[in-house]
Amino acid sequence: MYKGIAASRGIGIGSICRIIEHDLTFEAKQISDPAAEKDRFHKAIADFVEETNAMAKDIEKRIGPKEAEILMGHAVMISDPAMSGEMDKMIDSGQCAESALTAVCDMFIGMFSKMDDDMMRQRASDIADVKVSVLKKLLGIEDIDISKVAPGTVLVCKDLTPSMTSQIVKENVTGIITEIGGKTSHSAILARALEIPAVLSVPGIVDQVKDKDTAILDGTEGDVYINPDGDVLSKYMLKREEFIRKQSELKNFIGKETLTADGDKLELFCNIGTPKDAKKAMECDGEGIGLFRSEFLFMDNTHLPTEDEQFEAYKEAVETMDGRAVIIRTLDIGGDKDIPYLGMKKEENPFLGYRAVRYCLGNEETYRTQLRAIIRASAFGKVKIMVPLVTTVDEIRSVKKIVEEIKSDLKSEGIKYDENIEVGCMVETASASLIADLLAKEAAFFSIGTNDLTQYTMSVDRGNPDVAYLYSSFQPSVLRSIKYIIECGKKAGIPVGMCGEAAADPLMIPLLMSFGLDEYSVNPVLVLTARCIISKWSKAEADALAAKVMAMDTEKEIVAALKEAAKE
Amino acid sequence: MVSKNITVKNEQGMHMRPASLLSQKATPFDSNIKILFNGNSYDCKSVMFLMSACIKCGSEIELQCDGPDEEKALAELSEFIESGMGD
Repeated sequence: MYKGIAASRGIGIGSICRIIEHDLTFEAKQISDPAAEKDRFHKAIADFVEETNAMAKDIEKRIGPKEAEILMGHAVMISDPAMSGEMDKMIDSGQCAESALTAVCDMFIGMFSKMDDDMMRQRASDIADVKVSVLKKLLGIEDIDISKVAPGTVLVCKDLTPSMTSQIVKENVTGIITEIGGKTSHSAILARALEIPAVLSVPGIVDQVKDKDTAILDGTEGDVYINPDGDVLSKYMLKREEFIRKQSELKNFIGKETLTADGDKLELFCNIGTPKDAKKAMECDGEGIGLFRSEFLFMDNTHLPTEDEQFEAYKEAVETMDGRAVIIRTLDIGGDKDIPYLGMKKEENPFLGYRAVRYCLGNEETYRTQLRAIIRASAFGKVKIMVPLVTTVDEIRSVKKIVEEIKSDLKSEGIKYDENIEVGCMVETASASLIADLLAKEAAFFSIGTNDLTQYTMSVDRGNPDVAYLYSSFQPSVLRSIKYIIECGKKAGIPVGMCGEAAADPLMIPLLMSFGLDEYSVNPVLVLTARCIISKWSKAEADALAAKVMAMDTEKEIVAALKEAAKE
Repeated sequence: MVSKNITVKNEQGMHMRPASLLSQKATPFDSNIKILFNGNSYDCKSVMFLMSACIKCGSEIELQCDGPDEEKALAELSEFIESGMGD
């Protein structure tokens, strides 16, 4: 078995077609007729640009505009004065077109590959792709036509360039294996867009296989088998069927409400980190935003964001969600999240220190700026304010007081906002959980943050591998805490949501349903999975399972029981 | 010669798309147009040079126009950069 990077999910089984790299060496010559050489060169570029733009059009139709942009970028690059202009100058000085092309491209490849920005480094491989394509034109080399491969083909190549990917016919290619590329490379993005399983970065694979070898690749795990025996083959054929069945099952949930097996409606929201993610939440069928982390505005910045800068960002997300709820968590810094320009002190115990609402109430000007921006954004949709790391009733009261003051300021300034904007409380500390009944009288809603709640309840540093075995939301103490928080919210008549990773955990979902959780906020890509799992449980079944596991003594027993009862 | 200091606002900085839009907008002007950043000068009519500057969100750049239509170039291009370059 070979191991690579799992880049596009699914199981691919098929017959290998290798895409061998051509020998692109050439003899660097001095030329005597620069004008004729430039003609030859410009003809090659014109052919390349024409083909590339045609491919881009085709991709735009078959895959999407974003994927087509990569290829259009190639045409823009070669036509740039810094590229073809420089190359012309070198040809004028007597170098052949091949040398000029290689020298200028290599200069830029060197420059871009050294940058400390992932996106820019990606440009280096774009330029390499352009160089090879134009060089082939100059040398008169024709490529294998990938669009003509037989059905059931697994492509094996060193690197899958965008120009190669664009020729792939989805129906004929069942898998892609390469020697280079990562999860965010163009080839991975395109493979995912085409829904073709792909394993990238398998070292030396091209030389270890022959055409027509049988290959199995698992794009979910990153495993590759060449000429596997019958047992492995039949195992993976089953796995493939299972995967396809699940995918098509999930597709049935697109555009549907989130309903339990009894037909009760629950809310399925998304966690996002930037206004752009809101688009993703919409694409993935999220019904609202249960957690909009506001830290990005502060972390990817060199200065404290102004009220207007923040307002624009919140407004963008709110408008994207088009009337659906957007719960914005106010600044949650400190702990593991440092923001250099704030000049926060180093602490012995940052997770127990000056962070989140504690910092905000101590730096009221900064906090007021943020709250004012959020409240102004409430004029454009349904915005809610969520306060992180609450441990006392005073904290939530203080925030509410500031919110009321800002509202009356805005009113006297004639600025629009939602008069009924809610202030809710994130319940993620042991203290907040134990006084959830008191907090419920002050908060308009609860949202349980399971990551921190688990850490604080278990007294476990999430990042320390030596104590990682204790870090589980299925510990009886954590489950009791979650159950109690939901009960307190229900008693007070306020909605309770969850925005930690546990909200999308198939093992946790039936318990949350039994406890009465109203809103599940998950990573956008997990919306359909969560909706599917929720649809399989009735309240009675969930209650029976919850009663059983809540009587158990250890995390191990609980997880085993939940796994056994899980509905896949 | 005229110039202006501008803060780049689009989230991903001067990546492929904004750089190619900016160079397309700059090319028709007769003036020489440069971006000064981190002590270096980059030709604003070249997408390759613009990208190679590694300009990020929040970067302070100076836009410099020199030529017959420098005022118009400065006004239009600085407005385009400030508007987030189509991002």
